[in-house]
Amino acid sequence: MKFTTRELTTLAVFGVLWGIVEMSLGTVLKSLNIPFSGAVLASIGLTVAMIGRLYVPRRGSTLFIGVIATILKLFSLGGIIIGPMIGILSEALIAELVLSLAGQPRRRWFVLAGSLGVIWAMAQPFVTNPLLFGRSLVSVWLNMLDQGSRYLGIDTNAAWLIVVLMAVIHLALGTVAGLFAWNIGRELQSRTGKKPTYIPTTIEHQSKQYEG
Amino acid sequence: MRAEIAVDYRRPAQASLGTYGHLAIFGWVLAMIMLTTDYVVLVAGALCLSVLALIYPNPFKRVLRLRWLIWMLLLIVPTIFFFGEHDSVFAGITYSSEGLAIGIQIAVRFIVLIIAIQNLTCAVDISSMAGLLERFGLHGLGFAIGVALNLLPALEISASQAWYTLKMRGGLRRQRWRGCQLLVITIITNALKRAEEVSLAAELRAFSPEKSRPFPIQQGSLDRASLGLMVLTVVVLILV
Repeated sequence: MKFTTRELTTLAVFGVLWGIVEMSLGTVLKSLNIPFSGAVLASIGLTVAMIGRLYVPRRGSTLFIGVIATILKLFSLGGIIIGPMIGILSEALIAELVLSLAGQPRRRWFVLAGSLGVIWAMAQPFVTNPLLFGRSLVSVWLNMLDQGSRYLGIDTNAAWLIVVLMAVIHLALGTVAGLFAWNIGRELQSRTGKKPTYIPTTIEHQSKQYEG
Repeated sequence: MRAEIAVDYRRPAQASLGTYGHLAIFGWVLAMIMLTTDYVVLVAGALCLSVLALIYPNPFKRVLRLRWLIWMLLLIVPTIFFFGEHDSVFAGITYSSEGLAIGIQIAVRFIVLIIAIQNLTCAVDISSMAGLLERFGLHGLGFAIGVALNLLPALEISASQAWYTLKMRGGLRRQRWRGCQLLVITIITNALKRAEEVSLAAELRAFSPEKSRPFPIQQGSLDRASLGLMVLTVVVLILV
């Protein structure tokens, strides 16, 4: 991962934006115990990171943005919880993997990266709690069901319905994040005079001509 | 003057530790509480807290907050009531003794981990952390962190200005979604403008992230000893 000076400053901008969101909004949402705060934070953070990806469409750029945001969160004054740090890094890594494997930035890959990144917020306790605090998977599962039951107003007996609904909410937030990042990124590029990174192929040009 | 005061607050053991030393102590704490089970966790936790108290001044100060206590209760209480069979009674409430034992282990791990992280972040400064990550392949991270820290106050001012401008012009009364989009675009455009200035200044000074030296790392006389202690602990605990 070697970036030029210009790319590094651009990545720093997007890293700071994600870091600010985590430091300010993250602390508020967690303190007020707002439902799906993790998913909301992940979607906002990933939106920022994916806009950054449009500006620096190179391998490792999304992860780099995540690392900067993690470091800023690590040294924020509000004290730290290990969960958000692992969360930021994992979400950035997931988005990085999807976007790197996809190659050319496209709207569908942004949606996929956003969805997978945000759904990690739901899966993360199953990894971090047993590893860090020695909690059993059963207690994590029960805790998630209890939370889901309170948020959605469904009885805990309908376990699978709760899980499916929670997954759908997470995926929807991730999809919105992907679409929002794509639209905002494109608009930003046109307003700041940068070339759009997405160049339609000749085949797509031809098919559009036929459609027209 | 400020630096002198900071030095006065450091304990001799902390002053002898560099970045690697602090990280090794953190690794040692992590190994002690993660690789032990049952009631050995209690002994390991007590030992870790004693060592942390010896190294860092006021190690427990920042942890004794209501927020942390609520977090800890949220982690422990479900385990006591939902894990294993309810075979004991306290004040008329039945609970699982197996769940209680696991809950105590979780609490010990949680407390020790939080204290270790808090002290690590207080002891290691941001430039040392960036320097360390640069040495592990993230080239230019130190420069990016520098730019990021420089941008933080400017971004906060520009974001609040954009927010108030949008509000005063009634941008959020109609087409709220569009208003939010424009707010995000304005904030990012301002930040990118500032970043452009920074990168121009860096390029004018012939700065190159590939040729620049990584950020210096704090060195300490006890760094190697603490690294050795960490490795030894991990090996012994894995073998046992």
